[in-house]
Formats: sequence, structure tokens, C-alpha cells
Amino acid sequence: MSNSDVNISRRSFVEKSATAAAALTIAPGMFLHTVAEAKPADQAVSSAVRWGMLIDTAKCASGCTACVSACNTENGIASHDRPRTDQQWIRKVTLRDKQTKHEISLPMLCQHCEKPPCVDVCPTGASFKRDDGIVLVDRHICIGCRYCMMACPYKARSFAHETVDNTVDHQPRGKGTVESCTMCVHRVDEGGTPACVEACSEAEHGAMIFGDIKNPDSEISKQLLKHGGKQIRADLGLNTGVRYRGI
Amino acid sequence: MQQLNKRMHNTLITIAGLAMLAFSAFAFAGEKPSFAPKVPHPTNGSTECVQPEDEMKKNHMNYLLHQRDQTMHEGIRTKTYSLKECINCHVPENSEVRFGDDKHFCSSCHNFTAVSIDCFQCHMDRPMEGKGTQGENPHSAHTTPTANKTTISTDVADTSKSVQDTKEAGNE
Repeated sequence: MSNSDVNISRRSFVEKSATAAAALTIAPGMFLHTVAEAKPADQAVSSAVRWGMLIDTAKCASGCTACVSACNTENGIASHDRPRTDQQWIRKVTLRDKQTKHEISLPMLCQHCEKPPCVDVCPTGASFKRDDGIVLVDRHICIGCRYCMMACPYKARSFAHETVDNTVDHQPRGKGTVESCTMCVHRVDEGGTPACVEACSEAEHGAMIFGDIKNPDSEISKQLLKHGGKQIRADLGLNTGVRYRGI
Repeated sequence: MQQLNKRMHNTLITIAGLAMLAFSAFAFAGEKPSFAPKVPHPTNGSTECVQPEDEMKKNHMNYLLHQRDQTMHEGIRTKTYSLKECINCHVPENSEVRFGDDKHFCSSCHNFTAVSIDCFQCHMDRPMEGKGTQGENPHSAHTTPTANKTTISTDVADTSKSVQDTKEAGNE
């Protein structure tokens, strides 16, 4: 290495470090984290990656439904004003401790299990797990039997009871099939972040982190290493891809 | 004598038959029969599809089915044989025409041949706002900026098309 390469003045070093720090920090407690590079469009997903989410219930504001509305908009889910049968891919849940009256709020969605019960029970193979850990319904072969809805311990799946006339081109949905959170697979495949995570960060809560939990350098892995992340119904041994803090 | 007559009779019938065959071949050789459906072509000046027209007529369903499974299960999102891109190119963005209507790109043939498909019970039968490629360079829609794309398209599409794709990939 030549001398000029290492000969950097103290002042310029300090300046550069400050700029770098400013670029990383947008606001107190809010950091830009690198999103995994997009895979080339013609390359299949691989099991070297496992997509997951970490949800911090301490940051999740009760009454805020930014993630739910972002999901509905992104995937063209419209309400028919029939809450019992309307589709929902993500919902807000409030947990209240009977003794202490302490309440926590959290978003509940498909947990993208490593051993998904919905895949086990599917008679046609429509319910499947991609190599990168995202659990999906192939609606081309779903017969609408709804076994997966019964098998899911998280009540994460919905059935399309009615004709869908407001589909979006990246998320075709139709009557007579089961559907659930896709972790915004159309975005993820292009190197993006799920709509709910983006909305949570835009609402300045930053309660949701999305990333590759197999990559030790990803933000989510660092947070999981530092704080841990609980699985809901860990006793079932499903090894969920969505983890929670503060429950 | 009688035998000779019979042989001549047979020969005449054969010649007449061959003449009729030849006539029918000539009659339909040049252009389409008048009863064939009129398939709306893209209005963006595109004259070639991702495969030659005859190949697309015969095998489009195989390309689509293959792409469907690859996209759904393996996350391969190349645009060349994607249903979304067919619609983006062949159906005008603000089209009022819906699937089922004789004027719709897919229905024009499917109605004629009485082949019912259920693609559009879920998929959009028209481009999403801002996604249509009518009026744009048609080839830029079939390319992705990745370097690996070219090698793949050389395998599946004809070579001349791939070369064109490579040249215009930068326009995106």
C-alpha cells in the first residue's frame, strides 16, 4: 500500500465518519438497514435465505392500523362489511393481562413456519413452502377445502367467499380459494420490503423489521441475537419465521 | 374389356380426388379463411411476439403454464412468457373491453374455438394503471436489466430476437 493511501488527516477522518453516521441515522431510534440485494429475475429462490420478521410489541402502538391498511391496499383486499367472512391477511390483536391490566398490541399474520401445519394437511399440494421459507397458497391448484384454515394455529388464512373484482396485477385473487399473507413475495423477489413493514416505519413506529434470518449480518439477525425473539405457541415446535419481542 | 373400363373408372376417381385436394390447398394457402377470428394486434407498432405467431397460436398455453409454475414456486420472475406481460402489451391500458368480449385479445380466439379458460377469474384482463406498454417500445417490456437474462433467452427464444433484446435492454 502506498503512503498516500494511509495518509489521511485527522480532520478529514472525523468529517467522513460524521457523514457516515448521519447517513445511517435518520431519526433517533430509527436506522436505515440494508435490504438484501435483489436476486436476478431468472434465478430460483434458494434455501440459503430465510425471510423473517421481528415485531417489537413495545413499539407497536395500540389503535394504529397502518400495517393492516397498507396490506389491504397493496394486495387489493376490500371489505364487504362482513367481518366474520371478510379476508384478512394481517390483523391487530390486543393482549390484556387479567391480573395487571397491562395491554400490549401486536400485528398477527402468517407466521411462515419452518414446519407449516397448513402444508401438512393440504390434499392437493396447493399449500407449500418456498425454499426461502415463505409459505404460500398456489391458487391455481387450491380446491378451497379449507383444511389449512383449520390446521393453522394462528388463524392466519382466509377464504375468498365472493367474487373478487378489484385485483391488482401482482396479486391475483379469486373466489373459492384460500389466501394468506405472502410476505409481499412480489416485492421481496425484487429486493423490496413487505408493505406492512414499510408502513410501520413510515408511521414512525418502526416496530417491524424484515430480513434474512439466515444471514448473520442482517439487521433482523443482529436484533434477534441481541434481544431474542419469541415464537407464539413455541410449544408446537413449528419454528416460525415471524418472531415477537415483549410478549 | 369390362376390366379395363373398371380400371379407367378408378383412375378417373383418383385424379378427381387429387384435383380437389390440390384446389383446397391453393384456396387456403395464401390467406386466412374468412371465418377465422380477428385477433387484435398490439397498437404499439410491435410486429413480432416473443415467439413467431404460429408458435404462439399453437403453444402459448405451454409457455404460460411453465412460467406460472416457475414464478409461483421458484420465484422466477422473467417477463418474456408472463401472462401479465401478454396483457400489458396486447390490451390497451384504459380499455373498456373485458375478458369474455369478442374484442378482448384472449377472448377473440377463445370464444371462437369454444375453449373456456379461468385465468381471468383472478388475473387482471387489462394492464394496471401505468403498467401498459401500448405505445412504448414493445421489446423493452420483455427484457430485464440483469446480465444473466440474455443467456436464458438464447435458450428458449429464437436467436435473432435475443440479440435485439440485448441491444435494447439499456432503454429501460
